[in-house]
Amino acid sequence: MRDVAIIGVGAHPTGRFRDKPLKALAYPAIWNAIEDAGVKSSDISVAYVGNSLGGLLTGQEGVRGQVMLQHSGITGIPIVNVENACASAMTALRGAWLEVASGAADVALAVGVEKMDVGDNARTIGALSGVSELDLSEMGMSFTTSYAIHPKINLKSRMEEYGWTAADFAKPAVKNSYNGSLNPLAQHRKPLTIEEVVQSRVVVDPLTLLMCSSISDGAAAAVLCSADVAARFSSKTPVRIASCVLRSGVYRLPDDKGPDSATTTAYAAYEKAGIGPEDLDAIELHDAMAPAELMLYERLGLCAPGEGPRLIDDHITTLDGRLPVNPSGGLCSRGHPVGATGLLQICELVWQMRGEAGRRQIAKRPKVTMAQNQGGLLLGQDSAVYGCTILKS
Amino acid sequence: MKVLNPDNLRVPDAPGATPCLLGNRCQGCGTVVFPKMPVCPRCHRNGAMEEVEIGRTGKLYSHTISYFAPKGFKAPAFQAFIDLPEGPRVFSLIGSQCPVERGVLEDGMAMQLIVEALADTPEHKDELTYKYIPASGVEV
Repeated sequence: MRDVAIIGVGAHPTGRFRDKPLKALAYPAIWNAIEDAGVKSSDISVAYVGNSLGGLLTGQEGVRGQVMLQHSGITGIPIVNVENACASAMTALRGAWLEVASGAADVALAVGVEKMDVGDNARTIGALSGVSELDLSEMGMSFTTSYAIHPKINLKSRMEEYGWTAADFAKPAVKNSYNGSLNPLAQHRKPLTIEEVVQSRVVVDPLTLLMCSSISDGAAAAVLCSADVAARFSSKTPVRIASCVLRSGVYRLPDDKGPDSATTTAYAAYEKAGIGPEDLDAIELHDAMAPAELMLYERLGLCAPGEGPRLIDDHITTLDGRLPVNPSGGLCSRGHPVGATGLLQICELVWQMRGEAGRRQIAKRPKVTMAQNQGGLLLGQDSAVYGCTILKS
Repeated sequence: MKVLNPDNLRVPDAPGATPCLLGNRCQGCGTVVFPKMPVCPRCHRNGAMEEVEIGRTGKLYSHTISYFAPKGFKAPAFQAFIDLPEGPRVFSLIGSQCPVERGVLEDGMAMQLIVEALADTPEHKDELTYKYIPASGVEV
């Protein structure tokens, strides 16, 4: 396997762009990445395109990748369509990485795009239910409910077990809203207070509206090449993919005592990258509901069980901390266009590692970073998809 | 009225007979799953699953009130996971006779299965499904 570098990234701003179809969202992300990489579009020999809801929401059930890339002037090459719920873009990245690592391709493109604002929120939420196994969604179970009481995370029971309060739940949302306020690409740019988050409308007890990611359009792309030729295209700080691990959920029986799948995925990524969680300088993680960030701190090995809120109180995971988490604003502030999120995370980390993150730039430029992404929900009481990518510069 | 998923739920015609869920038990290791699946998730044996009647009673594992309703449902509504004595942990709605207020349900309480319409909405009023309600004098 060859070492692979990310030499170009690009993104469309995240938000509601009702009149823009998928291909119009994808175009600026793709071409920003191509121009950032210093490649010609004809250098790209394979592309992976992640999207989750476009079939149901736009009617373009098949060949969405070919449609989007044709609009951007990229035709003829192999184009692989990827659907893996909220981890579609991370899965697309993995495909592009494997193409280059294996030597099958010299330059590969990974794209993630999502069109969620179609003028009918109920239809969007209905489509989103379709990334849960049908036996659950047909009974009326929502993702918000799954974060609240599903055995795999059960945030409600953590309040009793750890003594976490509503204010603790609000802390990641407040931290990330500040980061998002500094990000011109973010969907929500208003810094929030603990009181605003706690007192916003309850969606599913104990989760309030401002703890939840919202309906969002967006796109992101990355250009990958073999690390030994990266300097031929780009003079920017080279960013190498140290590991890219994809896992699927495990059927969890109620007596299951095994480690959480987010943990096994992260530790597989640490091992392949030859690092431990203590070596990370920055993380983008999957806070689809803000308090999940507190659980993920434990599951990624950043703290002991129950200690999540302390990492924010002690300014460890804040932008000025030793290990900033979600410098982009994360899923709740930067936005969560589901099929684009994994590559939006990668874009942010590359910008931070190059020192190009503007007002939200981490003061000590990070050298080792991780993107953690997950998606879908299975009857077997686990998420469907888990992904972790570790980058080194 | 029709049963939403007849493979999952048995609604007997005989007077006095109680409804139950239909799961699978592995003839190899005894693991019970709901809904049914042809391969045991514990011992991974193929073709050893037999149908079993389960879930007439259960214990409330976790619950919440959803103040948001997906299309075709109403809010506020209880949503819950129920631990069945046979082994499975099942997502379930709570019977409509239960007032949707904090304090009505308590995790760990004994529950019993009932059958009613999935939701009192035009989309789902004719679809029968399983729900749970607090048990009256049922030992779990």
